Amino acid sequence: MSTAVAPSQVRLISPLGLLQKLSGLKVLLPFAVLVAIWWAIKVGAGITDEVLVSPATAFAAFVRLVTTGVLSEYASTSLRMIGACAMFSLAVGVPIGFAVGVNRYAARSCEGFLRFLQGVSGIAWLPLVIIWLGLSYKTTLAVVIYTLIVPIVFNTMIGVRTIPENYVLALRSLGAGRLRLATDVYLPGALPSIVVGLRLGMGYGWRALIAAEMLVHSGGLGDLIFSARTFNQIDRIIVGMIVIGCLYIIVDRLIVQPIENLTIARWGVLRK
Amino acid sequence: MSAVAPAASPARLRLDRVAWMLLPAAPFVAVLAAWAAYWQIVRPPAATLPSILAVVQVVGDIAGDGRLGANVLASLWRLLLGASLGILTGVVAGFATGLYRGISEFLSPLVIFFNAISGIVWLPLMIGWLGIGTALAVFVIWNTVFFIVFQNTVLGVQLVPEVLEQGVRALGAGRLETLRSVTLPGALPYILSGIRSGLGFGWRALIAAELVGAPSGLGQMIFAAGDYHRSDIIIAGCLIIGVIAIAMDRWILYPIEQRTVQRWGLITDAEKEGV
Repeated sequence: MSTAVAPSQVRLISPLGLLQKLSGLKVLLPFAVLVAIWWAIKVGAGITDEVLVSPATAFAAFVRLVTTGVLSEYASTSLRMIGACAMFSLAVGVPIGFAVGVNRYAARSCEGFLRFLQGVSGIAWLPLVIIWLGLSYKTTLAVVIYTLIVPIVFNTMIGVRTIPENYVLALRSLGAGRLRLATDVYLPGALPSIVVGLRLGMGYGWRALIAAEMLVHSGGLGDLIFSARTFNQIDRIIVGMIVIGCLYIIVDRLIVQPIENLTIARWGVLRK
Repeated sequence: MSAVAPAASPARLRLDRVAWMLLPAAPFVAVLAAWAAYWQIVRPPAATLPSILAVVQVVGDIAGDGRLGANVLASLWRLLLGASLGILTGVVAGFATGLYRGISEFLSPLVIFFNAISGIVWLPLMIGWLGIGTALAVFVIWNTVFFIVFQNTVLGVQLVPEVLEQGVRALGAGRLETLRSVTLPGALPYILSGIRSGLGFGWRALIAAELVGAPSGLGQMIFAAGDYHRSDIIIAGCLIIGVIAIAMDRWILYPIEQRTVQRWGLITDAEKEGV
């Protein structure tokens, strides 16, 4: 019996593997075309390295940045920063959102204020924060937390407001305390909305981080590409941009989206 | 007991309504009060934290000598240019991609990647290509708005039920007529919510781009003020940025979106509340 199973398994796996290989190619093909166009423009129009480097030069710069450890240094600075800011914003923003959301007067009074704060992007406060905290990582931290926390508080508040009051009343009449209400009603009920806030906050926050790093000059990928501008190192700029894009996709796909999927699967509040 | 409550209610109700109307002002008042109190007690140097009066005065000053108007106009002009370009190209490309599966499959990895680096990340490269000025700011806004509008348009086009398109086709409509009378209105709510959030991102990107990439505009006004430690101008500028952002969203984008949603109502209730 067992010998009969083995071949069928092999046959099952091989077309699947082929399919995966094909889909991998499908993802890579557009990039291959893009690189070909890039190369053609570079060679065809005879553009100097000061304006655009060839893909080969960019790759060489990538290898150099990796082997000297520069890239991992700058990338880890940015990643640690966004990670710390996201953790802090969730830890502080969600409770604030709960506190504001459970009371309709508090929610009413804070909504306009939060919208206003969201309108003034964190990066606009940067010059003032630089005066207050100096050109250090603290400034970047403050700007990114501001950018991240506002959408999280706002969406947590909205999430709590949309929970049907009967759920709260039902649990209360059964003798649940405030903590019990928070963990059993507010948190699961507001979670999809919190995740929306986190996603939006990460979108805003990652860009704010890059912009702040450009201006604060204390490490990070934004600093890497903006300092490279000063020395006209186009190869470094392009490598930095590609790394920024890849890291954002990885953070989004591997961390934010799974959380979103889990939330939807478990509490299934989302439509469609 | 219960007989007493209604007797007192008209006056109380009115008081409640007034309080309800005034509630949104409360946090602003609280912040201003805290600021005033802190300033009175600590008396920080003007470069660190100016008094409220100083900020009000500086708004008057820069409005009076025309600096504020010029910078606001420069920023809004760039936003208008960049956003119009972004919306136009985003919708056209979105339609092409949404209608043809082949194009959509080919482009989607590229879109995911370039969306991840949309906006401000292009600044260092584009400073070299476009120089500092309006073209650079317009590029950054176009780049930001395009991807959001594009993705929403593709989603909207793909979600229009095929039955509707086939129905109109069966009645003898051509390809263009089907597009105009079915696909476009069907996708419009998505396109508009894309435009709305695109402008939110675009306005942020503009301010960030202007910090280093433009000789004028609100972002540049704030950044230059930072060099001279004029925190009164910075705070005034930030407040104006917030007011403009809210005004745009409230009086231009929100009404348009609401009207479309009401008219073509394809968005579910959950989404309406979420937005």
